[in-house]
Amino acid sequence: MPKKPNVAVIYFPGNNCEEESLKAVLASGMDGKIVRWNERKNVEKFDGFVIPGGWAYEDRIRAGVIASKDPVFNTINKEAENGKPVLGICNGAQALVEYGMVPGLKKKAEMSLAPNINPFVSGYYCAWIHVKGPEETNGCAFTKFTEQNEVIPMPIAHGEGRYITNDKELIDKLAKNKQIVFKFSTKDGKTESKFPTNPNGAMNNIAAICNKKGNVMAIMPHPERASFVRQLPDIVELRNKSAGNIAAMNSFAPAMQIFKSMRKYIEEEIT
Amino acid sequence: MGGVEVDLVDIKAMSDRELSGFLRKNAVSLSVFEAKRVVELIGRNPTLTELYIFNTQWSEHSSYKSSRSILKELLPTKAPNVILGPVEDSGIVELGYIDGERYGIVVSHESHNHPSQVVPYEGAATGVGGILRDVLCMGAKIIATADPLRFGNPNGKDKNRVKYVANEVINGIAGYGDAVGIPNIGGDVYFNDSFDENCLVNVVCLGIVKEKDIIHSFAPESAEGYDIIIVGKATDNSGFGGAAFASLILDEKDRESNRGAVQVPDPFLKNVLIRATYAVFEEARKQGIKLGFKDMGAGGIMCSTSEVCSSSDFGAEIDLSKVNVSMKDLPPYIIANSETQERFTWICPSDFTKTLLKIYNKDFELPNISLGAGAFVIGKVTAEQDYVLRHNNQIVCNVPINAITEGIRHERIKEAPRRDFKEPILKEPKDCNKALLSVLRHPNVASKAKAYKHYDTSVMGNAVISSGYADAGVLKVDNSSYGVALKTDCNPRYCRIDPYWGAVNAVAESMRNVAAVGATPSALTDCLNYGNPENQEAFYDFYEGVRGIADAAKHLRYKGTKFPMPFISGNVSFYNESSSGKAVDPSPVIACVGVLKDYSKAITMKIKKEGSTLFLIGKRKDELGGSVYYDVNDEIGAIVPIIDFESERNMTSAVVDAIDSNLLLSCHDVSDGGLATTISEMILGGDADGRIGAEINLDFTDLRTDKALFSESSGFVFEVDNQNLSRLKTLFKFYKIDLVELGKTDGTKLIFNKNNKKIIDLHVDKLKEAWTMGFVEALE
Repeated sequence: MPKKPNVAVIYFPGNNCEEESLKAVLASGMDGKIVRWNERKNVEKFDGFVIPGGWAYEDRIRAGVIASKDPVFNTINKEAENGKPVLGICNGAQALVEYGMVPGLKKKAEMSLAPNINPFVSGYYCAWIHVKGPEETNGCAFTKFTEQNEVIPMPIAHGEGRYITNDKELIDKLAKNKQIVFKFSTKDGKTESKFPTNPNGAMNNIAAICNKKGNVMAIMPHPERASFVRQLPDIVELRNKSAGNIAAMNSFAPAMQIFKSMRKYIEEEIT
Repeated sequence: MGGVEVDLVDIKAMSDRELSGFLRKNAVSLSVFEAKRVVELIGRNPTLTELYIFNTQWSEHSSYKSSRSILKELLPTKAPNVILGPVEDSGIVELGYIDGERYGIVVSHESHNHPSQVVPYEGAATGVGGILRDVLCMGAKIIATADPLRFGNPNGKDKNRVKYVANEVINGIAGYGDAVGIPNIGGDVYFNDSFDENCLVNVVCLGIVKEKDIIHSFAPESAEGYDIIIVGKATDNSGFGGAAFASLILDEKDRESNRGAVQVPDPFLKNVLIRATYAVFEEARKQGIKLGFKDMGAGGIMCSTSEVCSSSDFGAEIDLSKVNVSMKDLPPYIIANSETQERFTWICPSDFTKTLLKIYNKDFELPNISLGAGAFVIGKVTAEQDYVLRHNNQIVCNVPINAITEGIRHERIKEAPRRDFKEPILKEPKDCNKALLSVLRHPNVASKAKAYKHYDTSVMGNAVISSGYADAGVLKVDNSSYGVALKTDCNPRYCRIDPYWGAVNAVAESMRNVAAVGATPSALTDCLNYGNPENQEAFYDFYEGVRGIADAAKHLRYKGTKFPMPFISGNVSFYNESSSGKAVDPSPVIACVGVLKDYSKAITMKIKKEGSTLFLIGKRKDELGGSVYYDVNDEIGAIVPIIDFESERNMTSAVVDAIDSNLLLSCHDVSDGGLATTISEMILGGDADGRIGAEINLDFTDLRTDKALFSESSGFVFEVDNQNLSRLKTLFKFYKIDLVELGKTDGTKLIFNKNNKKIIDLHVDKLKEAWTMGFVEALE
């Protein structure tokens, strides 16, 4: 038996999605472990990294910015440059953008995850949304199982998740490089910009961006909370079809593809 | 009596008038009688530190001095599924067996009413913070919270303050719970003018623990010489007198001076503290170490350390100079009594102390997380049953530990107040469409999405049904197929009219809500929010409320047994009244916890299919007192819903069995807003995205049309696939329940027919607009 990919889920003080992130990692067929921010020794030996959601360092100054200055991030960045996959979810995505790993064209922060613009609830907003996968990818490590334009339900849970940039050409560049991985959409895949389809006012409905190589992805919605059918709400037909059938409820929901894809990527490219 | 080494307060030498003045000047809430009782009890004048200790311990909040005897007399607390009744920080009820081991659901239920009225954000946030500690300190994994909230009239005389308080309370709950990362899976919100000057902010928390891993809030056996360790935030002067403050009547003029009694929340530190504590649990279990662990809440270090030691007949010797403080020159009575948040007490064998300190201070770096935070040894458990506090090498407190923890009792007098409520004479409405829309738009009925979408409802990844989608929230339990359901209830207007039947309804509705998702109601908790117990009428209402919840629990029973539904935890909050002395509506807020053996069977309220059949159980009666329909007509009425215990029991059991047999597609109880509201909400679903309508025939009842549509008599409506009709009928026949076939799901409208005439004919978009806007408007 070849060794399973081994993934570190990094816990910075204040994160709170490390457990469910680890569960999704394990269920996808990888090994993994929650690694505290101060357990830096040997962290480079892991095959991939998940930076989970939460409020690392209390989101002091700006969401994700202090975590991105934590020494462990330099190691993660180095390993990412060696091709290892890094998945930043929600607060983890904010840290990746602050570090500049995503979009990663200039090795500095080129975008920002700004406070939501949401006509219904100001500040933190938790709700189910849909995202649409890419038409074609740049070999992104997290969409190997995603069908063309596939629509995936996931919850969002953030106050600062609006992808913006003041570099007018950046969005075009990202589109050209196929770095825009997931966009907020309706159930039917329409990427209309109005609320509630776009829940935070992100430019071009951006929900997830990867770096140019495709091995680092910063995603604002939570795939780890949408990886099993039982986690889906009754607005998703798959959930209603599965009610009363425990095997069906425990089975994978579409967002699990992201973790399965990470596994496949490591198996093919890293180990 | 033990000696002390500081000045005494010479109570003996003071006249009553002088004593009263002294107590007021020093912000001691003890009565003159009680202060003199301290002298009698300890056999000498007390030190100032000792006086403050009794002040806190004899507050209503800590001592239950007015309520304890009644609770003990009336409330049923025993049933075969109870693992731990209401004696420690939380109660524990059986979940079931996982891999041969018995597991329990840990439940705690508290109020943070006064702090939330004064500084709503911090008050509500620290309410969440406190309840998490109550559950964690049983050795449990925290899995969920829920918040029952009562606010004033958003269109009344205090509307600006009411809206401010409501919004800030919601933000405070979100700000704390979201950051720690505990899903909020339910709760309820009611508005009415009795809460204008005194909101109610209750909070419920659930945890899961293996029975053999329970950690108790008392020192383990042979703990003599064990270390007393405090862990968490550095002590400051915040919340000094908080427990005493909870037992004062709020006066708007004093709002500023009361602010100091409210604690400061730190969810960031708590996030790390909880994870570090899980690591301590794991290590102690691995090494087979027995520990005592207690929340540090009301009464601070003094209350937590004295109770944890005296419960196992030990004493304690504590050096307050060893307490990590964040302010210079704090006097000993503040260090001892301050209610600084995010702290716990450990009772720890000294050979494990190093490991415990390392986990908090090195592995999780608490001192780097928050200035001065960490775990520190502050004293020892002693065989002599004295409570001794030192400060700067002087003994500042030395009294028998039982004198502190035993508390005080007051016999209160009750006297029934005049209640001259009358049934209104209402004309039958010409336009039932309009009547239904105004009921759906009522803030007590309308969707609470604007509140719970501030809350993290999906964190931890275990929510099977989260807030808003059904009558109760449901979580999957790790490593098992079990589901846990939770719902809170209490209709304040019913209780205003009738404190007994209002209380009965609170229990019945909470059980219905849990049953409506398919869970078997397993245990109850109560948070009893009432006025001033020294007021005989308020105390009468309290007594009637306790009698009501107790009778309901006894008669509604734990499913399939003769045992009552057990109360496993609770809280009493008195002195909830306006500055003019008017008590809030009696509010025995009930939380019901339920268990599903197979979580996958849980169902939501949203209609799932076109062409399926809708049924009603529960007779519609002319009992609209306290109803939303009367309220939209500016009436309150006099006859509240009366629960027929046998029929209620059968209905609830039948619904649980029907869902367990996969016979129902969706289910919703009939309560606020009546039958027409229930069906409207089923059409819309929690996210108001439903597009399947229904056509209902109202000819099954002789009740006047508006009363049939809006009566809040107990019942359920459910949706059944046509292929299951005969199995369904057999099951309900077994329980001797009449099934009323209401009609079919179909189209995109809600239609009610009576005598072949359409009395309601509304497109789902109209229902959606009213139902989604009402609560939003109340908060704006």
